Amino acid sequence: MRTAGQSRLSLASVALGVVLLVAGSYWGLARAPPEIFMGDVQRIMYVHVPTAWNAMLALVFAFVCALMFLFTNDWKWDNRLEAAIEMGVVLSILLCTQGAIWAKPTWGVWWDWDPRLTTTAVQVFAFGGILALRAFAADPMKRAVWSAVACIVAFADVPIVYFSVKWWNSLHQAQSTPDTVSSAFHWPLRINAIGILFLWTGLVALRARLGALRLRGELAPPDGGPPLVTR
Amino acid sequence: MNALVAALRKDLLLQWRGRAQAVAIFAFGAATLLLFSFAVGPDSRALRQHAAGFLWLGLLLASTLSLAESFDLEVEEQALEGLLLLPASPRALYYGKALANWALLALLGVALFPVMVVLYDASTPQLAGLLGIVLLGTAGLSAPGTLYAAMTAQTRSRQTLLPLLLFPLVVPVLLASVQATSLLILGDPMGQARSWATLLFLFDVIHWSLGGLLFGQVVED
Amino acid sequence: MRGVIEGGWEFVIAAYAVTAAVLGLYASSILLRLRTERQRAMKQVP
Repeated sequence: MRTAGQSRLSLASVALGVVLLVAGSYWGLARAPPEIFMGDVQRIMYVHVPTAWNAMLALVFAFVCALMFLFTNDWKWDNRLEAAIEMGVVLSILLCTQGAIWAKPTWGVWWDWDPRLTTTAVQVFAFGGILALRAFAADPMKRAVWSAVACIVAFADVPIVYFSVKWWNSLHQAQSTPDTVSSAFHWPLRINAIGILFLWTGLVALRARLGALRLRGELAPPDGGPPLVTR
Repeated sequence: MNALVAALRKDLLLQWRGRAQAVAIFAFGAATLLLFSFAVGPDSRALRQHAAGFLWLGLLLASTLSLAESFDLEVEEQALEGLLLLPASPRALYYGKALANWALLALLGVALFPVMVVLYDASTPQLAGLLGIVLLGTAGLSAPGTLYAAMTAQTRSRQTLLPLLLFPLVVPVLLASVQATSLLILGDPMGQARSWATLLFLFDVIHWSLGGLLFGQVVED
Repeated sequence: MRGVIEGGWEFVIAAYAVTAAVLGLYASSILLRLRTERQRAMKQVP
């Protein structure tokens, strides 16, 4: 059973990610000293920055899947694309929420038109829209091609959005960047980043498996015969 | 090239035949401009301050109507399948459609401008600069809009999907066009309008190339 | 420059709780959906 082994591997990856996240968060919350200016609020960074890195990584993976699907027409890339976009949207929503929670004690407002926060919000809608498009496209082949095309266009758009917002908002830039984090603070950051990485790759693999099962159901003839596409 | 000219002629002819539709879309845009002023209140200074934003929001909302319309015709009688049988590349079909949509949107922008001037007392002496911004901004709406309209026209609930996909994508267009138009209306001591125009131009180059590259994938089976 | 931000633990806890909740809910939704889909597939192809 190849597939059973694969899902066991994905589950193991998820479990490893959870263990690393618990360890990194314990380090960041209980053992790391409070930061000089930000105090204890800085501890949010130990989960916020890893989420940001991984959200970007998930969307880069989605972009790669989109290209691979258009070049190979292999369904497995469509399943991965769907999984990666969903993961990227979930991580981006999480990122916005963490950003708002961090902004309140530091900037005094929940939301600031900071280029990163704003771009993440735009990203949620751009890639969330692709999930909506998938939900409303009935033909599996068209759905796959369209979401690959939309994913490439949206991915190319993200840097333009970032720079235009940065330019637009250059009058009151009040960013506190993670570059100010001193080296003593790096370890919880790294452990959490690797933890989230294992967590999302495992989840994306499971989600792609789910997509493959659904697709097989869709492509199968109604009389319960063998599926039309075996890949 | 011939195929592109033929496709453009076809789409311009379609829009000319459907000019009642264009008038209706203009009326829609003008009505949104009127509504924005009700949302702000009769504060002429604030209205003038935000005139450019209202103009571009009105144009953006109206554009989703005209973009969706441009592909409904092709999908209804399965005209698109017929067109793909012709010995013309889908790229020519895309650029013909996108250019025709651009022309219509630019015309809409030019037509909505006097409405804005009358309602918000927001005129500018630099009409040529404004025309340039309208052309660059509507080109940025038309290229991704045409690509996405080709997809959403073939789905259920296309009325919702097109704006949902298009709005996040054209955030840079909205930002840059509003800033540039605002600078032209309210005065531009630092000469920043030109840099916003450059940003718009870059956006246009990227999306017009991407659209041409990817459209073939969207319509072909 | 303002001084050290005092306290703020409620924000820290909220951020970690939200993260745990979102990731946990998404993970369990995938596992649940996968189980239903597997059962359906088993029923379809005996």
